[in-house]
Amino acid sequence: MKITFIAADGSETLVDAAEGESVMQAAVQNDVDGIIGECGGSMMCATCHCYVDDGWTEAVGGQQDGESDLLDCAASEVRPSSRLSCQIRMRAELDGVVIHLPESQL
Amino acid sequence: MLDLPIAPLDETITIDQLTLAPYPIYKRLRAEAPVLRVKSVGRTFLTRAADCKFVKDTPAIFSSDDPNTPMKRAFQAHTLMRKDGPEHMAERMAMAPALMPKTIQEVWAPLYRKLADDYLDRLPRGEVVDLHKALSAPIAARILAHILGIPEATDEQMIFWSQALIDGAGNFGWLPEPFVISDHANLEMDALLARAVERVRAEPDRSALSVMVNAENPIPMSQIVANIKIAIGGGINEPRDALSTIVYGLLTEPGQLEEVRRTGKWGAAFEEGVRWVAPIQASSRLVLEDVEIRGFHIPRGDTVMTIQASANHDEELFDHPERFDAFRARNPHQAFGSGPHHCGGAHVARRTVGAIMLEALFERFPNMALPDPEIVMWRGFGFRGPINLPVALG
Repeated sequence: MKITFIAADGSETLVDAAEGESVMQAAVQNDVDGIIGECGGSMMCATCHCYVDDGWTEAVGGQQDGESDLLDCAASEVRPSSRLSCQIRMRAELDGVVIHLPESQL
Repeated sequence: MLDLPIAPLDETITIDQLTLAPYPIYKRLRAEAPVLRVKSVGRTFLTRAADCKFVKDTPAIFSSDDPNTPMKRAFQAHTLMRKDGPEHMAERMAMAPALMPKTIQEVWAPLYRKLADDYLDRLPRGEVVDLHKALSAPIAARILAHILGIPEATDEQMIFWSQALIDGAGNFGWLPEPFVISDHANLEMDALLARAVERVRAEPDRSALSVMVNAENPIPMSQIVANIKIAIGGGINEPRDALSTIVYGLLTEPGQLEEVRRTGKWGAAFEEGVRWVAPIQASSRLVLEDVEIRGFHIPRGDTVMTIQASANHDEELFDHPERFDAFRARNPHQAFGSGPHHCGGAHVARRTVGAIMLEALFERFPNMALPDPEIVMWRGFGFRGPINLPVALG
């Protein structure tokens, strides 16, 4: 399945992801700038902040338990569409999902 | 698994060598023996970035709860640093509000700016001063005392306690003397904390002690005290060594300093400094089940050591890793670790040392120079940084 990342400057990167993989893992494995994922998905660092594209927010779903506390830590503006990309697991309905990246993660 | 060989054993590398000049050793190990049992340390060294990250990100196999470390003895308690799973998470989250960016932005950053100004004011101009002792250590101690909720502790006390705990926790030879000193530090800390607890009960604030003591469902007082101590032990050396390391890096690379000044990329300089010489160079994990790493059988009960210092110089991830280069396109270092024990102070460090101190220091002393880089001494195996930094402030 596919994920499209759109950087703050508008540049797009299309990557392949496997079912069950997190959006953060797919980004890191494909060297997508703009996602750091320093803590490896333990919800400790808030360096995998992303904005889910308006057309995908329903399919992706809202923030999980504990996620909003960590999002408070994010370096860039937090919006209703903000998620920690380590908490978004790829599944069939998310094939083709569009993810926007913030200006900065640190 | 049983048909795999166990990792080779090294009987030549000494702790002294690792303390004085670890990087050439790690370079050799990354190339020749990335999984190696090192007899002098009694640990299996992992020196490649991918292996270090795998271990940190897989707490179900690699436990932090290693009963065989001197840390418990030094702290007279089992701290959150050495716990796993929900127990670790509960204790970590009890303290976390004090270390989160919202609190940093509203409370600690404005305070740090003021403290930074005060400490920079005190530095003598026109002479050579050891910046490591005159600035890096005391400012790290001062902001930490405030964040933890024990501002009544002096810089000297904080620095002494921190070193006593570190020396005790690193006393792998189980010598008596370091524990005598850490016991003494514990007595002093316990006395001061007893008073501080009463104060934050009466006047709650945003400090770690206050949020833990005044929580709706507080963790036991013994753990509040233990975790304040782990933050004392683990919260001074790292920002101190990071600051001195970055200042050294920038002063010995004047072209980069010029460019950082022009672009304001102090954050990038910070990240590069902690990559280049990671303040915490190595961590231990206890192996809970037989596992394979790079074709070797790592048996249950073994203790592996992730060498972040080496992961941060892994040629697979970094060009010219031995050089300080604040303008790397990517800098996926592991200086703050990974996984559930990812450094709790990372946000504080980035938003104080990285976002405030570096710029304030170079703005205050634009002609600062390092007359003789050769006399700067670097030390440390578990923790590493310069132990002196004689600069001319101009």
